[in-house]
Amino acid sequence: MTKTMMIKHKNKLMQKIKSFSKHPFFGIFIAAFLMVFVQIFGNLGIIKPSVVDILANMWIYMVVGLGFTLLLGYAGLASLGTAGFIGVGSYVIAYFLGTLGAPYFIAFIIGILLAIVLGTVVGFISLRIEGMYLAIITLGLSEILVEFFKFATPITKGLMGFQIDRFQILGMVLRENQVYYILVFFLILTMIAVVNIVDSPTGRAMLSIKNSTSAAQAMGISVLKYRLLTFVIATVLAVIGGMLYMSYNRSTSPDLWSIALSLNILVAIVIGGAKSIWGVGLGTFVIFGFDQLVLKRIEFFQTFGNASYILNGVLIIVVVMFYPGGLIRLFKDLSYHFKRLTHKYKTVWKEYRYGKDEPSHS
Amino acid sequence: MAKTNLLILNRHYNHSITLLEQKISNNTSYHDVIKKQIEKKRIQKIEDMKLNHQAYLFSIESKTLSKEAYLEFFSQKEIETLNTWDYWKKRELAQTKHRMIFNDESKKDSAESTYQKKLETLRIKYDTKKVRIDQKYTISLSNETIKAYLNTYPIEKARLEKELNDYIETLNKQDVIKIEQQYKEIHRKNELLEAKLVLLKAKKNALGLTADIEMDDQVILRLDKLRMQFGGLVAVDDLSFDVKKGEIFGLIGPNGAGKTTVFNCITQFYKSNGGVMSYRDKNNDVVNLNHYQVHDVIKLGIVRTFQNVELIWELSILDNLLIASHTLYQSNFFGHLMHTSKFRREEEILKAKALKILTDLGLLAYKDFYPLGLPYGTLKLIELARTLMTNPKLIILDEPAAGLNDLESDKLAQTIKKIQKEYDCTIFLVEHDMGLVMKLCDTICAISFGKKLAIGTPKEIQSNPVVQEAYLGGE
Repeated sequence: MTKTMMIKHKNKLMQKIKSFSKHPFFGIFIAAFLMVFVQIFGNLGIIKPSVVDILANMWIYMVVGLGFTLLLGYAGLASLGTAGFIGVGSYVIAYFLGTLGAPYFIAFIIGILLAIVLGTVVGFISLRIEGMYLAIITLGLSEILVEFFKFATPITKGLMGFQIDRFQILGMVLRENQVYYILVFFLILTMIAVVNIVDSPTGRAMLSIKNSTSAAQAMGISVLKYRLLTFVIATVLAVIGGMLYMSYNRSTSPDLWSIALSLNILVAIVIGGAKSIWGVGLGTFVIFGFDQLVLKRIEFFQTFGNASYILNGVLIIVVVMFYPGGLIRLFKDLSYHFKRLTHKYKTVWKEYRYGKDEPSHS
Repeated sequence: MAKTNLLILNRHYNHSITLLEQKISNNTSYHDVIKKQIEKKRIQKIEDMKLNHQAYLFSIESKTLSKEAYLEFFSQKEIETLNTWDYWKKRELAQTKHRMIFNDESKKDSAESTYQKKLETLRIKYDTKKVRIDQKYTISLSNETIKAYLNTYPIEKARLEKELNDYIETLNKQDVIKIEQQYKEIHRKNELLEAKLVLLKAKKNALGLTADIEMDDQVILRLDKLRMQFGGLVAVDDLSFDVKKGEIFGLIGPNGAGKTTVFNCITQFYKSNGGVMSYRDKNNDVVNLNHYQVHDVIKLGIVRTFQNVELIWELSILDNLLIASHTLYQSNFFGHLMHTSKFRREEEILKAKALKILTDLGLLAYKDFYPLGLPYGTLKLIELARTLMTNPKLIILDEPAAGLNDLESDKLAQTIKKIQKEYDCTIFLVEHDMGLVMKLCDTICAISFGKKLAIGTPKEIQSNPVVQEAYLGGE
């Protein structure tokens, strides 16, 4: 009787949902729904447009950050040129849509081709130089690009920045809250791509090059090929981020793409956790969203505006000291400790209820 | 045609031959994977069916058994309340009687009689109530529908058992047909591929290419006057020896003799300054190793391990083995990006292969572990297991027993012997542990300061005065 009582009738649909909930795409789909609902609530007036704006910019930086995780977390290469590449993306859209009036898709393809060229250049450099020096060289490249944005006035309109008054796809003029869905679409695509790459021979090859170059070579992994590939993926994603930025904000200027942004993206990934897509999300939230969404609402930070930067700095120090694996580790540890605690109290409760040292039936 | 063109063509043919062979072996191993998957699905289906049946039977059971228990429980509860009511009433009566006697001694008899009367009426009340309760529950207990359910239960059970058996039989039949179909399809594909292979081999033979380097059939690796210089320092000085097919070859020498440098030269980590290293590859062609790059050497069938364990610390043991099979993947980057069915099939095949190797070496328990924190001996064994992923012909072990205790090195020696026998490969090792070398090796070469001292069987080396001098110092 008791045995038959234990058996529950299994519903097939529930089983399917359960098996899907263990799939890595499950979280991504839920995130997609949430992101779409943010805009829908924004349209209904439940969420303020300014909040939606901040979140949209967060998604853009997350696309860039996802490329950067492959570089830093998997291939073990540090780059400080990200901001320059984002700038390239934004100016490509600005020039081709604003000045030439070309269709969006052509601008997009040209941007990606440019990204591939830039990525290959940096990738070749990375074969000779590693670590800090590679970071400095990429920083130099980024500064060159920023100078180009400043002084190539016929293309970039110089220091004043470049504004386009409307954004067109297939002859349709899209407003900001419609472009938002394009951002979400690209973010979800990159998330899926990164998850797939990590769980494939390519991702494993990247990790093996980071851990032990000689072992990787002995196992038949070409260091040149995979370093180039990671740099190309990272730059393509950075340029896509720039193009999305331009599509959403419709304005760009050279001072946006300074070293500060590169450092912010690096810090976001270090804080969040360099080996997880959710870590990237968390890191971008802490760096690009936490400040304006949470801290600016507290009175103390409203009066002392710069105090929020100090808090961010303290947070970075604390995370790097105590959680080198990123804040995402904190959640894993918390869930682990919670499980341990509940287990402990369950056993204590059982002892109290049923007495000690009772031999179990099974 | 010019000789170089012929060489290029030959290399191209060799490459396509290895690809085809890989495809054929993949197809055959995929058959096993498919078989296992079908069996797993069948078991899952049967389990589901069983669960459904149990749920159905339980629904019948609950209609009878649970009602009985339910009735019993409530009748007992009502009787309990009745009893307590009875108890308190009796107590009340007794108390009134005692109070009356306490107030007036003379009224003792009348008080007793009224008490008895009231007690009698109470008993009658109690009995009627109890009868009513019994009636209430016995009526519903003898419900006919319950009886009907009780009767149908064994019949239904028998029917379901029969149904299940039939279901299992039909499933088995279906699966046999499915597996046969799969086998036929794979066989058909393989036949096509084999025809292609024969064609390619014929083409290759038609080239009539003879290798520059003459080498005995029994020799797998020949070093001919290998020379390696770091600036003014000569690490390897005109070293030459042969490694025969299927033997365990040991290279010994005092510290700084250049043993590891020889290994690095063979696997192209260092480009040698002079000499020829000829190797008989999987297609039985003699090639010069100097013409290959570091990451291409594994494709010829040469795998190496490292002096200090070089595992990938951020990957699990199973993934570490899959790293070694990197060259066996035929899907490209877009396959990896989209997780195409071809890529997933390859991944399944290679995972099955890795699991087989792990079980062979007794490491299956560690498959999901991360290397960090595992004992050193186990890590060395894992590195050995990693070399086996690509079906190598020559395994190069760089000090396999360094840092191991006696027990671990014994186990290592056993596994090396096992690998040599079961996986049909030649083993070439450097070792400082003389006991292990003398026990394991068929041939030993002793070197000192990059120069060959002696080569021969372990006994010959032990009795060689030159080697003794190099190790123990001359007079």
